[in-house]
Amino acid sequence: MRLTCLECVYFNNDPAWLEKVFPGLNALSSAYGTARGEAGICSKRDIYLSPVKKCRYFERINNSLTDSYKSRT
Amino acid sequence: MEEPKKPMGWKELYLKEDWWAIYLGLGIIVAAIAFFYGANPFLKSLSVLPPTWTDVGKLTEHFSTKIGWYVLQFIIWLTIFGISTRILGFKQSEYIPSFIFLYILSIITFIIGAYKPLKHWGFEAPLVALILGLLISNVVRLPKWMDSGFRVEYYIKTGIVLLGATLPFTLIVWAGPVAFLQATIISVTTCLTIYFVATKIFGLERQFGSVLGVGGAICGVSAAIAVGGAVKAKKEQVSIAIALVTVWAIIMIFFIPYFSKLLNLHPASVGAWVGSSEFADAAGFAAAVAYGNMVGNEEPAIRAFTLMKVIGRDIWLGIWSFLFAVISCVKWEKEEAGARPSASEIWWRFPKFVLGFFIASVIITIISSGYSLVEYNKIVKPELIKPIKSLRSWTFIFCFLSIGLTTRFRELAAAGKKPFWAFTIGVVVNAILGFVLSVLILGNYWIQKTTGIVF
Repeated sequence: MRLTCLECVYFNNDPAWLEKVFPGLNALSSAYGTARGEAGICSKRDIYLSPVKKCRYFERINNSLTDSYKSRT
Repeated sequence: MEEPKKPMGWKELYLKEDWWAIYLGLGIIVAAIAFFYGANPFLKSLSVLPPTWTDVGKLTEHFSTKIGWYVLQFIIWLTIFGISTRILGFKQSEYIPSFIFLYILSIITFIIGAYKPLKHWGFEAPLVALILGLLISNVVRLPKWMDSGFRVEYYIKTGIVLLGATLPFTLIVWAGPVAFLQATIISVTTCLTIYFVATKIFGLERQFGSVLGVGGAICGVSAAIAVGGAVKAKKEQVSIAIALVTVWAIIMIFFIPYFSKLLNLHPASVGAWVGSSEFADAAGFAAAVAYGNMVGNEEPAIRAFTLMKVIGRDIWLGIWSFLFAVISCVKWEKEEAGARPSASEIWWRFPKFVLGFFIASVIITIISSGYSLVEYNKIVKPELIKPIKSLRSWTFIFCFLSIGLTTRFRELAAAGKKPFWAFTIGVVVNAILGFVLSVLILGNYWIQKTTGIVF
């Protein structure tokens, strides 16, 4: 199976979280619309991107790590 | 280990607000048609709006007789928005109180906007909503959780689907290509201007230039987050683009209507200009509706705006996004091992609510074609179209208030001089070009196409 950002611990594309991270996003747009696709933020590289094939920083997600990591970011 | 996540795919049918706007908008239209053919006045009574007034007595009388319909309307809005936002992931403990606040504020806004003496000064409901919302969010400071109920995009998308029911499909077919041509000339010029000023003059990164460029040229914040993801922009670059688009969009909501009023322009030309030069659907509708109300002729402004913005600009967002993804992949990041962008992104990023807009237009056009002009004006317009228009006005006011209530200037990212000037130069080019094409060159075309038309 080809792994992408969606399986990476550093990637977060939760719409509610994105609207907090990008102030003003919900004022004239929305993270819940189709225009965003499944784009999210890679906290390792501090970039905003659509999920792509895994890069050299890829770390596969697991429940406990993800929850604790994402709660910190 | 957790199971690997899968792409959302068709789950977006219930996880993206575009689809919910379609279900809700088309649901209202189907209900309106059912009541119309059943000669049942329920929806007509339900779509109640505060009347224009000068003395308080008239207003009090209106509310004392219609209060039951307002309560019922509120319950229906709350139920359908509540269920859909629950599925989208919003907590109802936050959404419900927030929507109650929004609905009460909407009534207050309509009352202020319907006060005749204020109308003479151009303070129409959309501008009242915006000013009221901005004052509350920037002076009073509501708790952040209340944003759950201030869903600008969801309300405007629903309103656009309802708008489809008031726009003949033939008009879309005839004028759509011209709108696309005009919008593309302006969008490409603006995007390239911002991109080259940002990258060649100010030395900003190409990704940053492209996010700023599409933000100013296509559909504002939505374009910035679509293309930002496609070109792998830095997080702060997206934040800055959002801030710049928001501030300029708010300025343009006031500038275009008042400037146009000064020149006494026709609402159709102004609608086309707003459609060419405003950055976001919600902001554009606020400006177009405000000007339409100022001159007492709302429909041509809304029709021209919709053709230009929705048909001319919005539906091409997926293609813009794909093109930038290809450029980014092939030219800007050769060293990366990322996969080539897939053309399927064009579909996934397509603003799906536009489909609802088209379907609504086709349905009502077919129904109306069975009536003569006299019958249309006497029966179809008051019994079928008017209730839909009134409910559309509610979704628009929810949206305009939400723009103000969620625009907190202190929270927006500080832009810095270089991105600010790159974007601002683009805004000036965009506004001038939009004015020249919409008013001076194609002004008469938009007036002819959007006035006096029936289905």
